[in-house]
Amino acid sequence: MSRFSDKAVRERNESAWLVPTGQQRTNWELRRQMRRYDHDDEVDLVIVGCGAGGATLAQRMARAGFSVVALDAGPWWDPDADWVSDEAGSNKLYWTEPRVISGDDPVAMGSNNSGRGVGGSMVHFAGYVPRLHPSDFETMTRDGVGADWPIGYQDLKPYYEQIEEELPAAGEHWPWGDPHGYPHNAHPLGPNGEIFRRGATKLGLRAKVGPVAIPNGRFGHRNHCIYRGFCLQGCKVNAKASPLITHIPDALAHGAEIRPGCMVYEVVVSAGRAKGVRYFHEGAGYFQRARMVAVAGYSIETPRLLLLSASSAFRDGLCNDYGQVGRYVMVQGAPQTAGRFSEEIRMYKAPPPEVTCEEFYETDLSKDYKRGFAIQNVSPLPVTYSEHVTAQGHWGEVMREYMRDYVHWAVLGSLCELLPQQRNGVTLADDKDAHGLAVANFSHSECANDKLLQKAAQSVMEDILRAAGAEEVITVKRYAHLVGGCRMAASPEQGVVDADLRTFAVPNLFVTDGSVLPTQGSANPALTIMALAARCADYLRSTSRSGLLAP
Amino acid sequence: MSRRLPYPEGTTPGGKGRFEGYEVLGQRRYWDEQTRKLVMDRLENTPELKFFGLAEAETAGALLDVILGQHEEPRVPVLAMVDARLHAGQTDGWRHEAMPEDAVAWRESLLFLDDDAEQSFGRRFHACSLEERGQVVQGVQDAEGAWYSLPAKHVWSLWSRYACSAFYSHPLAWNEIGFGGPAYPRGYKVLRPGWREPWEVAEQRAGDPVPWATRVERAKRSHAVRTGTEADNR
Repeated sequence: MSRFSDKAVRERNESAWLVPTGQQRTNWELRRQMRRYDHDDEVDLVIVGCGAGGATLAQRMARAGFSVVALDAGPWWDPDADWVSDEAGSNKLYWTEPRVISGDDPVAMGSNNSGRGVGGSMVHFAGYVPRLHPSDFETMTRDGVGADWPIGYQDLKPYYEQIEEELPAAGEHWPWGDPHGYPHNAHPLGPNGEIFRRGATKLGLRAKVGPVAIPNGRFGHRNHCIYRGFCLQGCKVNAKASPLITHIPDALAHGAEIRPGCMVYEVVVSAGRAKGVRYFHEGAGYFQRARMVAVAGYSIETPRLLLLSASSAFRDGLCNDYGQVGRYVMVQGAPQTAGRFSEEIRMYKAPPPEVTCEEFYETDLSKDYKRGFAIQNVSPLPVTYSEHVTAQGHWGEVMREYMRDYVHWAVLGSLCELLPQQRNGVTLADDKDAHGLAVANFSHSECANDKLLQKAAQSVMEDILRAAGAEEVITVKRYAHLVGGCRMAASPEQGVVDADLRTFAVPNLFVTDGSVLPTQGSANPALTIMALAARCADYLRSTSRSGLLAP
Repeated sequence: MSRRLPYPEGTTPGGKGRFEGYEVLGQRRYWDEQTRKLVMDRLENTPELKFFGLAEAETAGALLDVILGQHEEPRVPVLAMVDARLHAGQTDGWRHEAMPEDAVAWRESLLFLDDDAEQSFGRRFHACSLEERGQVVQGVQDAEGAWYSLPAKHVWSLWSRYACSAFYSHPLAWNEIGFGGPAYPRGYKVLRPGWREPWEVAEQRAGDPVPWATRVERAKRSHAVRTGTEADNR
């Protein structure tokens, strides 16, 4: 029995009731009847990107009666026709336009952290939706590292609660950070999650089931999870949340226009105000006029777009007078450890998001590092799991022997809070993409604290797996998620946007995606990005009507 | 859907595997049409080479088989799969600053591989014996810093990513490792460690009942012989 009222959710966001019942996953009628705007219409808001940040903002603003056009570079997915239950066949879900990676510790892009199309990265995210802890908003004050946000946890908390209801999130009562419950009860455990809980229990560590953005029980017309394990390939079931089904349907029903296949290459600013955006669609160039512009292209493409939008008034890139655009991009250190069990585990069953342990999240003064990490189970399918094996240096017959043993292995992953560093970030490379636009170069290097954290996380994962009975453990070093690059700050010298996500440089230009995070905690970022966008929408709704943003 | 498979049920690459008789495609009637079409196409239609030239294909084919330990029939057609991917320009979505685009890096690294083989054994890579090929490839994996004009570790990563993502996306390899394969609209209902769906096949290899540790040691010894690193492993 749900402790939360579906009625209240539906009054705020009807998306779950707008996805169809029956044999189709897409509400074609809603798409056909979509309101369409002319390029010459000065819409209230044009949004660049239809992922976690852009789609949430579009839904909130459309519902409040604003005219909204949301552009996305990728396609508008139909889960039935476009997605497959297959790893190699899911490449189109990832942003695979050319990008350059550099630095001492370069970060793989594509399937690892970059989505494409309406729904954004959440189409292929694992589904974990934890909140940040209150400490994440003031790591500089508390721990002398990272940065303080211009807002606190309490400012975001109501929006965390709203979005958890709208996804909805399922999980056990959460004892960490600001303790809270979830609207849906935890899902049953799969074999990999069972191993995690077994090991944690032996060690006396608390591990909780969830929080995952998959309804457990009736929620609108969303289908129940069938525990098929292909969360990262796009949920054909319409069980796992992504904005494609959690916010876009309601946005459409309230008059928003979604324009897929539109690659925005310039935010046009004149006399200090944004006038709209220029974009390519099927080879032709267009200009969409707008009264306000929100950029939500995530931590690589948002800085890239601002840098590409340089003009005589903004020679070093739009909003970049203080050199803040593209800086402080963060990824979480995400080593994964696999353990070998004599019994068959078959970790490919059940959703990969299941169990989380946040016992090591906060700074522990007895350690030689600051901040911490979370541990979650992950369940790589064969192609992805082969990277675990080859990372050990195995190839040829040894690699095959390890892979032949696939059903015996369980995998844990960690999310380590790597610290924000000015040097880590996005610049424009000399390479050009198919449109002739300079591609992004993302440089990333770890600091000493980063290395210590990841070592500690690996050792805890090994302990948990061994406690559960593993006879051998292997670890692969990797990174997960992206945030930062246009961080929010108290002043323009320290960041790109203010506490309400408005750029310091252009009063009617906003950034509403993961790039605004000043620190990242050890939480998967999707929920925080959506909550920030929902909060920004409240700000826009309250101020626009009073004339603050009127031309 | 009722079409016969182009091989006997339960076939694995090189006849290796521990799930005797397991045929992942036995479930294909419970898959969605899009996925079934994609996987069956992968199985039934080996694309013609369009990216690699003749000499490149010889070297690349030999390299991929060495990395994957694919020395016996039936084989997963990884060369054709990698070629199709490079022809379509389907990258992973990034390149290292010190590396050219994937397609260029593939062509260059194949030339370097032949150079290494010529220097060590006086013939091109694909003309070398299995042991010689193993030694050349091991040399690239062991190289510190640059290998010719490319960073060795990035070359290794490029090769192994393309090789493994082709091999382990093929149903013959799924048979070998006991993977359940596509699972939509049919999901899973038996989620406990040590338990199986009725159609999943238990690990069973009558002729090879040795424990995991012994099996992996045996593979490592055989690998050491193949790559000339035997002494180091003792």
